[in-house]
Amino acid sequence: MSGAVVVTGAARGIGRAIGERLQSEGYTVIGVDIGDGLAATTFEPVQVDLTSADGPDTVDEAVERTGLPLVALVNNAGITRDARLVNLKDDDVAAVLDVNLGAAYRLTRALIPRLGPGSSIVNLASRAYLGNFGQFNYSMSKGGVVGMTRALALELAPDVRVNAIAPGLIATEMSMAIPEDIRQKMVDNIPLGRMGEPSEVADLVAWLVRPGYITGEVLVIGGGRSLA
Amino acid sequence: METAVFYATEGVQDWEAARSRLLEAFTVSQAAAREERPIVYVVHGDDLLGRRGAPSAMAATGLLSAARTAAVELTRSRVPVNVVAVGDDTDPAVVERWVEHLSDPDGPTGEIVRLDPSHIGKALP
Repeated sequence: MSGAVVVTGAARGIGRAIGERLQSEGYTVIGVDIGDGLAATTFEPVQVDLTSADGPDTVDEAVERTGLPLVALVNNAGITRDARLVNLKDDDVAAVLDVNLGAAYRLTRALIPRLGPGSSIVNLASRAYLGNFGQFNYSMSKGGVVGMTRALALELAPDVRVNAIAPGLIATEMSMAIPEDIRQKMVDNIPLGRMGEPSEVADLVAWLVRPGYITGEVLVIGGGRSLA
Repeated sequence: METAVFYATEGVQDWEAARSRLLEAFTVSQAAAREERPIVYVVHGDDLLGRRGAPSAMAATGLLSAARTAAVELTRSRVPVNVVAVGDDTDPAVVERWVEHLSDPDGPTGEIVRLDPSHIGKALP
C-alpha cells in the first residue's frame, strides 16, 4: 500500500497501535498529537493542539510536505472528563466536545480536498455512545462522532468512504488507570471475558482503510459488552 | 414534575452552532437532573440519519447518546430521559402528547420515538 495516512492521538494507546499497523502495510503515517510522545514513534510527527485555530492547517501542511496523496484520515484523538451529570462542570463538557468532536470535524473539513476516489475516513467513536454511567459529556461527544460519520458518508460518496469504530474496554494507559477492582467488575460484564487490545482495534481500522463496500457504519468492538 | 423539553429540530450549519446546541442541552439537562425532572429531547429524524449535513447530525446524535447516558444515571431516581424524532410535517400537538407519555416515571427511559416514517428501513444511530 502507498500514500499518506493521518492518525490523530498517535503518540500512545490505540492511536499509536493504529499508526504502527498502517505503517506495517506500507503507508506513510503522519502522526498527530498534542503531547511530545511522538518522538518515540517512527511516524512523521506533527505536535499540535487540534483545537487551536491553526491546528488543521498545520496537519494539512504536513501532508503537503510528504508529496504523497492522502489515502486515509483516522480521527482518534480523544479525552475524558468523567463525572455524573449532576456534578459535571461546564468546562469539562466544553473540553470534551472540543477535542473529541470539534477537532475531528474541523480537521476532516480541512483535509477533504486531499481525499480522492477510493480514500477512507475512520472515526474512533466509543461504545459509550450507547450510554455509559458517568460519561454524559463523553457519550454526547462520541454520539456526535457517529452523526458526523453518517452525514459525511452521504456527503462524500461515492469517492470517500466514512466509517466509525466504537471500542469498548481496551487495554490502554487510560483504562489501566481505573482501579483494579472496578476494572475487574467491568471485565466480568464482557462476554469474551477480557479487555480488548489496541492492536485489535488497529486491525479493524486497517481493514476499513482498504477499498471496500462499507460506508456510514459504526462497528462496535467490545467483546460482546453491548449485549450483556 | 415539569418536564424539561429541549427542542433541537432546526438544522445548524457549522461546528460552532452544533457546539452551542450541545452545551445548551447540557445546561438544561443538568438543571433538570438536579431537580429530578423528566427530560425529553426533540430532534429532527433527518438529522439522526445524517441527511441534513454533518453539523446538524452531530448535534442530533450527540443528544441521543446524551439521553441514553442521562437515562442510565437517573433510572434509580425513576426519572425518565427520552428522545422524540420528528419530520417536517409532524403535528406539534402529537409531539406534546408523546412528551407527556415519555415523562411518565413508570414508562420507558433511554428510548427514542420516531414520529416520521422516513426512518423505516434505515439504521438507527
